[in-house]
This record gives sequence, structure tokens and C-alpha cells, in this order.
Amino acid sequence: MYRYDEFDVAFVSDRVAQFSDQVRRRIAGELTEEQFRPLRLMNGLYLQLHAYMLRIAIPYGTLSSRQLRMLAHIARTYDRGYGHFTTRQNIQFNWPKLRDVPAILSDLASVEMHAIQTSGNCIRNVTTDQFAGAAADEIIDPRPVGEIIRQWSSLHPEFSFLPRKFKIALTGALRDRAGVKFHDIGLMAQTNGAGEVGWAVYVGGGLGRTPMVGKLINGYVPHEHLLAYLEAILRVYNRYGRRDNKFKARIKILVHEEGLENIKAQVEEEFAAMRGGVLTLPQTELDRISAYFAPPPFADHDGARLDIAREKILDPAYGRFLENNTFTHARPGYVSLTVSLKPVGGAPGDATAEQMEAMADIAERYSFNEIRVSHEQNLVLPHVAIADLRAVYDGLVEAGLASGNAGEITDMITCPGLDYCALANARSIPIAQGIARRFAAPERQREIGPLKIKISGCINACGHHHAGHIGILGVEKKGTELYQITIGGDATENASVGKIMGPGFEAEAVPEAIEKLVDAYLAHRTSPEEPFIAAYRRLGDAPFKEALYGNG
Amino acid sequence: MQILTANELLSGATVYLDPQGRWVEELQRARVFSKDEAEALDAALAAAGATGRLLSLETEIVTVEDGIIHPVRLRERIRAKGPTAPRFPRQHLDEDGHVSL
Repeated sequence: MYRYDEFDVAFVSDRVAQFSDQVRRRIAGELTEEQFRPLRLMNGLYLQLHAYMLRIAIPYGTLSSRQLRMLAHIARTYDRGYGHFTTRQNIQFNWPKLRDVPAILSDLASVEMHAIQTSGNCIRNVTTDQFAGAAADEIIDPRPVGEIIRQWSSLHPEFSFLPRKFKIALTGALRDRAGVKFHDIGLMAQTNGAGEVGWAVYVGGGLGRTPMVGKLINGYVPHEHLLAYLEAILRVYNRYGRRDNKFKARIKILVHEEGLENIKAQVEEEFAAMRGGVLTLPQTELDRISAYFAPPPFADHDGARLDIAREKILDPAYGRFLENNTFTHARPGYVSLTVSLKPVGGAPGDATAEQMEAMADIAERYSFNEIRVSHEQNLVLPHVAIADLRAVYDGLVEAGLASGNAGEITDMITCPGLDYCALANARSIPIAQGIARRFAAPERQREIGPLKIKISGCINACGHHHAGHIGILGVEKKGTELYQITIGGDATENASVGKIMGPGFEAEAVPEAIEKLVDAYLAHRTSPEEPFIAAYRRLGDAPFKEALYGNG
Repeated sequence: MQILTANELLSGATVYLDPQGRWVEELQRARVFSKDEAEALDAALAAAGATGRLLSLETEIVTVEDGIIHPVRLRERIRAKGPTAPRFPRQHLDEDGHVSL
């Protein structure tokens, strides 16, 4: 894993000292809230419905055991004993007191973490594939480039006051598990004719009020010029992005209104002026950063094989866990393991301090001290030997973390919604809980197969509802919560935006509505091998609309 | 009818203006401003802003039935009691439990 150098240490500790003084001055009455608000937001401190909320960056979703233990310590010491992992691979604490925040930031700095740029109109935490550096289908480990983007974008003087926030995601694999096409900039590793690896660059993707799939602006940018190319895009956006209307300020609107070709011409002009200049990334520097992400010292487990069919007979819960939660590793004898934070009846993405500590211990013993956070609000043990799977599973059972539902219908993305969020119009968590209870039976989930439900409590779409195979959007209508259902969204390399099916449903009717959609899918699929999204693409809206609203 | 609500500076806790000009945790102790008390409401808002200890000052529409205050918006009902799923108690005022106008 990356370790802070002296520049990282200095800028993080300087920021802790600076913000500590700002908090002191605010409490002493020397700063008004109007003056203080932008300062606290620059340090990830929001005010939500019930209390402050501190959002902490987890760059490219990678944590060490030591860092996760510190998050557990913060949860227990300064908060209410739990944290919430988000779709940005970050963690949020919902109950910090203002006076404690400097101490929290100081604790974070001691394990090379911070909350800088987790709010504001700047470049936010860079996100990536949760299986980075482990996946068998990977062309390149994206984390070194993710780290370089983190360094380039941290406190970037030109891009600290953009028209609006800016999110970058990258993936080094053929399959996109990071939703890169729904980011302001999405990067997908690409091989050129000479067999060299570079990046396909997508621009102008996003969710929220105006969902859009990112457009390919350059099919191949070599590593050495990537920062210059990103800087060129940001510069064009910073110059022409709309500042008159918050709802039209994201780069997706600029690209949409001006046209990709026009924006591309501007970007290429900037790029031509910068190419080969100070932002050129020397191979030696890329090598130096890459060394931090060298593969761990794997043992020779080449002969180990998973016999899921056998395990399912011996212990169905364990067999189900293996079937759903393991992911093929590049190294024979190892797997990556998704640790679901979606127990039936729980709040998606929440983990207690005790669970974080259990994960840290398990990772230390069985996954080379590494933990990942997925944008689907789960944790991942990236490198687990097949021979250790039973021991890991038993440890997870003890910690209440052994839900074997990864990728199934109860593995939902869910924003905090109106239970916490000051922007929300409707609750999300109880909707997820209602659906999870409805489909709790493992046999039912297995029958349905891979299905992604994503729930947002407002149009800002933190719950990625547009990208759900089934999306649920909470709105307020005449003082009550109402839920619109969309179908056909997809956050993979085949990205698409879901379509609204018709009038919304009251909260208690949502699980029934989902059941009708699922039953329609089961009735119409060509075989159990045709997943929901493929069936929808073949069938179109009609059978699903009919299931929800009848054929009248 | 309206009430005045805010979040307190140190704890971030939800608070309500009571008839004695104090900011308290309990919704049912909130001062209810009738339609013809607009001036008093404006004065209270201005005074609250001047304390520098209250964030997100808002007026909320309520109904009162049998002496019980009911915020019209669900958002406000959740703010008064804390998250619903899982149910967590609301945030409490910390050391600064006595903000007054």
C-alpha cells in the first residue's frame, strides 16, 4: 500500500493544525457560521438533519488493518459505535461533536488519512475497482495511477473552486466494476496496437438530476500524458462550466450543451499546449509509486481448488457464501472475498466498531493487511487463500458479517435518505429493509440471480438509482413519501440509464411492486442463465409495466 | 402556525425556541407562533441569528391538536425524534444546553 511521503505528512498535519484553530475560533465566536461553513466543508464536516457528519476519504477504496482499526476507534470514541461506508468508497460518521473534530482529524492523520476534499467544488476522492490489484480480468492495477491522480488533485491550486464538484473513477479491468461511465471523468485501461497499456477517457457522465452516460473523448492516452490530459479537461471545464445555475454546473451539462466534438477540440488544444511539459509523468515516478502496490508475498497454493458444489451440500450457508462472495483472483489458489454489509434488516453500508476491528484482524491474518471498500457499500478482503476460506468465514460469522448475498437482490445500494440527510425528500433505508425482508430466503434470491436494486432518497442520486437494474427514487408528494421505480439502469461497461415505469408507490407498497417485477422477469426469461438486465433489454418495458400497473 | 428550529453549534443537535426564549431539545416545548405573530417570529429569527450559536435556522409549519405539536413535514418529525431505521435516539445538547436569546 502507498505510504505518505514527507509532502503528504506535511500537508495533512498542516491542515489539521489549521482546521483546529478554525474550530477554536468558531467556538470562541471569532468566526461566524457564514465564514466557518466553507472551511468546515473543505474538511469534510457537513451538518445533517440531526448532527454534524464527517466524511473521510478512503483513496481508491483501499484500507490497511491499522487504518480500519483507527476508524473503529473513532466510531467508538467520538461517535456512536458505527460508521457508514458510501458509494464513493468513503466512510461517514453521523454523530461527531464539533469540539471533537480536530482530535478525529489528528487521529486520522496518524494513520495517513484525512477528510480533505470530501466536500466542495473540487476534485473528490478518486475511486476504482474494489478488486484492483487482485482481479483475474485485470489489464493493469489502477491504484498507482489512482494514487498519482490523488497527489495531482490534492489542493490543486487551479481546481479548488470549480463550477461544481468533480469525480474521477478508473478501472484497470475489462469489466467495469467502478461505474466509471457515471463519473465526470471515467478512465478504462486500454491496450494500443503496440501492446502498451494506457487509458480510454470518458467525460461527462453522471447521475443526479440529469443522468448521463460518459462519452468517449479519447480512446488512448498513454500514462505519461494522462495528467496533462486530465488537466486539459479540467481547465476547459473550469473556464466554460456554468456558474450561474447549480443544477447545470457539472461537466456533463457542458459536454451535452456544447457537444462532445466542440469540447474535445478545446481539450485537445489545451493538451497540445501542455503535452510534454511539467505534467509529464516519468516512468521512474510511475515505477516508484507502483512499487508501493507490488503484489503481496503470496504463498504457493496453486493446487488449491474451490469445490462449491460439495460445500453447498455439507453446509448450505457456507456454500452460498462461497458461490456469491468469492471473486476470481489473478493468483491461482487465492480469491477476493466480498464481505457484505447488507444483512437482512440492517442499514446498507453500516459497520460497527467491533465489525471493523474483526475485519482488521481477519485481514491482518488472512489478506495481507488489506481491506477494500466497494462502491456498492461492501467491504472486500482482496487476497484470501482458498485454504483459509473456512477460517475466514467462521470469523465473519462470529462478527455478524457472513451474509452470503453479494450480487443478489438483497445486496442493494442505499443512500442514507431522510433518516439522516438534509437534502433528502424520502427515506431509503426502511425501503431497503422492506425489500430485504421480502426476499430474505436464500433459495428465492438464488432463483432470481444477479439483480442490482439501487435506492436514492432524492434526485441527487447518491444511491445511484438511475444505474440500478431496478432503481427506486424517493420523492415527497403532499407531505408523504412516494417512490418512483425505474428499470434498465446499468453501471458496468454497458452503462445505461434506467427508465421511469409510471406513477410512484407508497412506501409499504414498494416490496410488493418489486416482487411483481421479479415475477415478470422469472416468467419471461429464456432460462435461468438470462439475467434480469439482459431479459429487460430483450423484452423492453411492456411486460414490466404490465406487471406494475396492469394492461389497462 | 409555525415553530422556530435550528441545530446547535457544538453538538449539532436539533433545538426549538421555547416561549421563554431558550433553545430546547423537546419539540413539545416549542413556542408556537400564530399567523398574527409574524413580527415576533421575525424578531426571534433575528435574535437567534445574532447569537452565532445556531445553524440552519428554519421556521416549520405545525398543527396543534389537543395541545400536541405536529410538524407538517415528515422531515421535521424525523428531526425531532432521530433516525427511524434502525431507530437511534436523537442527538443531545452537550455542554451548551442553555443557548438563550
